[in-house]
Amino acid sequence: MMKKKSKGLIPPGLVYMADNIITKHNILGASKGSGAKWAKGLNLPQKGETIFFAGCGYQYSSALESLMSLIRKMDKSAIGSELPMSLAGFQKKLGLDLAGMYRKVAVRGGDADGQPLRDAVKVLHNLGVEFGYLAEDEPCCGGLLYYIGLQSEFAKNAQEVYNGLKSPGVKRIISIVPSCTYTIRALLPKSVDGYDLEVKHFLEVVLEGIQSRELQFPKEVKVTYHDPCQLARNLGLIEEPRQILRAIKGIELVETDWTKGEWATCCGGGGGFEAVFPELSLVLAVNRTRELLETGAEIIVTHCPGCIMQLKDGLKELKVDDVEVLDLAQIVAMAMGV
Amino acid sequence: MSVFTDYKKEIMDAAHDEKIRVALLRAIKSYRANINNALKKFPHTIKMAEEVREMKEKTIGDMEKLAQQACEAIEENKGKAYIAKTADDALNIIGGLVGSGKLIVKGKSMTGEEIELREHLEALGNEVYETDLGEFIIQKLGSKPMHILAPAVHVPKEDVARLFSKITGQELPPDIETLVATARNLLREKYFQADIGMSGANVVAADTGTLFHIENEGNIRLATSAPPVYIALVGMEKLVPTLGDAYKVAEVTWRYANYTIPSYVSLVSGPSKTGDIEKVITYGAHGPAEFHVIFMDDGRTDLAKHPILRQALYCLRCGGCLYECPVFAVTAGHFGDKYFAGVGAVWAAMITQNREKAASLAYTCLTCGRCKIRCPMKIDVPEMIVTLRELIATS
Repeated sequence: MMKKKSKGLIPPGLVYMADNIITKHNILGASKGSGAKWAKGLNLPQKGETIFFAGCGYQYSSALESLMSLIRKMDKSAIGSELPMSLAGFQKKLGLDLAGMYRKVAVRGGDADGQPLRDAVKVLHNLGVEFGYLAEDEPCCGGLLYYIGLQSEFAKNAQEVYNGLKSPGVKRIISIVPSCTYTIRALLPKSVDGYDLEVKHFLEVVLEGIQSRELQFPKEVKVTYHDPCQLARNLGLIEEPRQILRAIKGIELVETDWTKGEWATCCGGGGGFEAVFPELSLVLAVNRTRELLETGAEIIVTHCPGCIMQLKDGLKELKVDDVEVLDLAQIVAMAMGV
Repeated sequence: MSVFTDYKKEIMDAAHDEKIRVALLRAIKSYRANINNALKKFPHTIKMAEEVREMKEKTIGDMEKLAQQACEAIEENKGKAYIAKTADDALNIIGGLVGSGKLIVKGKSMTGEEIELREHLEALGNEVYETDLGEFIIQKLGSKPMHILAPAVHVPKEDVARLFSKITGQELPPDIETLVATARNLLREKYFQADIGMSGANVVAADTGTLFHIENEGNIRLATSAPPVYIALVGMEKLVPTLGDAYKVAEVTWRYANYTIPSYVSLVSGPSKTGDIEKVITYGAHGPAEFHVIFMDDGRTDLAKHPILRQALYCLRCGGCLYECPVFAVTAGHFGDKYFAGVGAVWAAMITQNREKAASLAYTCLTCGRCKIRCPMKIDVPEMIVTLRELIATS
């Protein structure tokens, strides 16, 4: 664990994740290598000047989903409502092994993980882009450390991330998780002298690649698009996903009147918020889901593992079962027939 | 520990309160329609906001100098001006001017809320009337304001009718016109009976010592001009160098508060006076003979030294960010301390120095950044919050 005194007022859910990043190099505290399961059978070289950066959120998505569901249940129960917001150490007083519970859930992650990642890889291959994937050697970008106030830990981790990427000879990165992308593109350079990695977001590569392509969705559908905060407001990728969706025949893009692009409403899962205020985070997810449902779309498309989890929970809470949430990578893969 | 626990319970209760959700949903919808209209009609506002931001960046470090200059100008205008280093100093100065057993009519002031001015004056044995309708409702409910401009944003008309029925002893219908007329009748005579009128200010010009009051109800006009004594409490961040600068700040403030033009903008620079008889200047013609302005520091000059968090002092209190905050949309002012949402977290940490509350608020911010898109001052709330979290984690 980190120094006690340095985290007195950081909510324990966040301290736990921070510890995982520092000690296990992933936000979930999963064992080395388990995050790379999704890539089995894809035959991706484990090195390359250009690599695909998968990120914790997608690699552990199903584990994180079950974890959230557990935390939300605890948060609603009498004892649990104290827990996630209490001071670090309080959980010990209660005799609850929160870390153990987190890990047990983590183990459950498996087959459902990584569908957006597998689709993203297929899409890139279909576009003729070549790249490697570091698999169990992919470092956690550590963005969460920065956002929760552990900037010196972030800076230390930043150097390790950079070294971890440079030593196998990486020069260019295609990154997909919005938050990781912003971290590797904008935050790491502030902490690492001579930072020289070229970072592109998956959508930028896709948009370049599909210019002269025929894309046809398997059926006629109305879709709406939810802008992830980091993608829209930090990375400025607002038009790109829309251009991609508009380029696909069979897809009709229907949007909210006001809450789109830089004005998009957060899904309620920002900056580790969902780990601190699980129940409130669900209320926000429901609100955002309601806004998106008003468009009459059959599919809610977004492009962030956190948003996907939140919006799925929002639909579940609203008992809507005829609308689904899909990642933009999945949509493009379907439209390519890969 | 208890601060976190109590706070979390408070915001969860709010988040499950359907009244708040519905009231805010309506308020947000109408705010967006109004501001779009206001900005479309007066598109120069956006450029003007940029100029104000630049001016704030340049002058926020000079607050003490500006306060000094404003004090000299006010004294020259035959008013009295004071600089209060701390909240206690401000309360003591005002307490000394007011004394006890007075009737006071008060305009809504967030700076007053910050130092709990009304409670202090009541404890000294004075009778204080909040005259802003929303604030009056809040005062009578014994509640706290839930929005900086619309303090009773979370209270539906049925609840107001019940409250006013209790006060008047008459059964009042939940009809908004009737309720507004009732408040008017209840307060009208107080303005003329009052010993003292009080308010804050939206912006102050240091070169002329002029206070700007932006309002729609007309209560500040009455409260600042009917009683024989007027006292203003002003946070030092409200000071700008010139009258021209102050006008820009005022226009940007009301525009982003979603008004094309408010009903009243008052400029007050000194006591009421006349020279109409033999050119002999005599004070207290129709307005107050006494004019007192207290410029309060209370941590602001220290905050101005912080390279990131100083942005909190650029805030014009237009309230626009609150309509864009997804958390505020379900919790209203419960996501706040003296001020609300992201800027409120910085205020709690640096000005009122409620560390645990500040930590709670800092981790309640989603850092989603939509407030920054709305903010006329482009205050980078996510950047401030991350900085604040680091301060909290390492101090």
